[in-house]
Amino acid sequence: MPAALDLRPGHLPSGPGTAFLELTSKRRRREIRRALLMIGPALLLVAAVYLYPAFYTLTLSFAEFDLVRLKLGNFVGFGNYLELAGDPAFLGATLRTVYFGFLIAFSATVAGFLIALLLDQKFYGRTIVRVVVVLPWAVPPVVAGVLWGQMFHADVGFVNALLSRAGIIDQYQIWLGDGWTALHVIAIAETWKAIPFMVLFLLAGLQSLPHHVFEAAKVDGASAGQRFRHMLLPLMMPIVIPLALIQFVWAMKAFDTIFVLTRGGPAGGTTTLNYFVYREAFQTFDLGRAAAAAYVLLLVTLFVVLLATLLRRYLVRHQ
Amino acid sequence: MIALKPRVRRAIVRNGLVYSSAAVVLFVMAFPLYGLLLTSLQPEAVIRSRDLQFVPDKLHLEHFLEVLKPGHIVPIREGLWNSLVVSTMTAVVCLIFAMPAAYAFSRLRLPGRLVLLGAMISVYFLPTVLFLIPMFVVFVNWSLDDSFFSLVLAYSGFILPFEIWILKAFIDKLPRDVEDSARVDGCTDLQVMMRVVLPLVRPGIIAGFIFAFILSWIEFLTPLIFTSNLKITTVALGMFRSTIDIKVGQQAAAAVLTLLPVAILMLVFQSLITRVLLTGADK
Repeated sequence: MPAALDLRPGHLPSGPGTAFLELTSKRRRREIRRALLMIGPALLLVAAVYLYPAFYTLTLSFAEFDLVRLKLGNFVGFGNYLELAGDPAFLGATLRTVYFGFLIAFSATVAGFLIALLLDQKFYGRTIVRVVVVLPWAVPPVVAGVLWGQMFHADVGFVNALLSRAGIIDQYQIWLGDGWTALHVIAIAETWKAIPFMVLFLLAGLQSLPHHVFEAAKVDGASAGQRFRHMLLPLMMPIVIPLALIQFVWAMKAFDTIFVLTRGGPAGGTTTLNYFVYREAFQTFDLGRAAAAAYVLLLVTLFVVLLATLLRRYLVRHQ
Repeated sequence: MIALKPRVRRAIVRNGLVYSSAAVVLFVMAFPLYGLLLTSLQPEAVIRSRDLQFVPDKLHLEHFLEVLKPGHIVPIREGLWNSLVVSTMTAVVCLIFAMPAAYAFSRLRLPGRLVLLGAMISVYFLPTVLFLIPMFVVFVNWSLDDSFFSLVLAYSGFILPFEIWILKAFIDKLPRDVEDSARVDGCTDLQVMMRVVLPLVRPGIIAGFIFAFILSWIEFLTPLIFTSNLKITTVALGMFRSTIDIKVGQQAAAAVLTLLPVAILMLVFQSLITRVLLTGADK
């Protein structure tokens, strides 16, 4: 076959001097049409569950919901948002959500990094440790809730039993009885579940580092601490920041553990925005307020995503 | 005392550090799971007593038998069956929709396809509660709440972006030559996809099926909102449908039963799953 004109998809000639190939633009159009046909059904389904609801929720956040006729009621402008802004429960939930997100992102990243550093060492039983570390990944979030609920159970929980036996606490504690403590129990459950993902990616990152550079620095007399601070950390930052960000975004979705462990209580002390939206929408059925709160949650998430992206860009540039 | 050479001393310190931290990691990551299993296998009296017993002298299956009885207040039996049906249906629907889309994203030059794919994957990470209110309204309006259909539709849509991403990663790695020569031989795109790509991309299809299955199996918020009928409760939800406080041992047994299918799938396909996720690492 002559190699001059190759018209298979993906091989079309381009660049100067090919404009005479009117034929190709026809083929090109056909290729685009085929692509649209193949992507179309998936796109429709995705639009049906993401795009349409997102717009509907946005509209709803500026309206009242007519519960009798099950459709949008009067438009109230920013009424729902203003109402939320004056609601201490909502403001508390917003601050709590941001704290909860950063707490999980931080603890999962630090714990994941330390475990990845450990697994990067050679020692007997490393494979077993690696398999065990990945285990919580296989645990559905709802089961993680049950499991940590039982661990921190006031009467039969292992945490009380172990801590009192070790002499750290005098008497059994009611861990879920106080909102602030309970929030941290939930964060422990979420962090425990997040660690496998972090370890897997951070370990892959560590193993992709240029090892000969570290050897060279060692030969030149750089101490382990110096190598960690001035070489390992800066090199890992471009990997660490997106991973921590993913954990933050996932923490915004945390629901199952909260539902199972505390249902947002005691006294709303573990109600994050996600849970707040659920409660407003499906328990008090104030759908307009719920939609507005959902959009605040989205804005908070996007704001943190933006911050992290800027931070990563700054760090990469100033290395 | 024997004076140790610095090199030996450093090795001892290093090993001590490594092995003690490995022990801590093992304990923290594995003990909660072990504790759950232990609780599910011990009689309620032992669980309630404050004497710790980390190694049971006898395994009791009574909690499992109890929760699996028909008509138990924890509808695990129905839940397991319903989740199996819904998750399988979702996985199949996802594959049917994602396969052509993934192929087009990988092979055909559509302007803006990377932006489109990126946008689809970004929304996957957002809280689902943002999308559930309107879907609830629509389903109630059409009397589709409390149906498998509503669950499969919602799950499939939610999982689809991720599914397309997985399949695309596998198709990207296939050599184009085979497809090209099939095309020269006169195959249409559809034929190329069905006869050439599909058999080659089998690991991707398995991976896609497993991910969609697991993600549907563990979904909690969607069925919590869309279902109220106990007949169509899913397994993740089953434990929380009853308002009566159930026994600790039975709760643990129900949790183990919810976890088991996912754990088995993850163990059997561990290397495949790790491979899929780490393809994202180099992007």
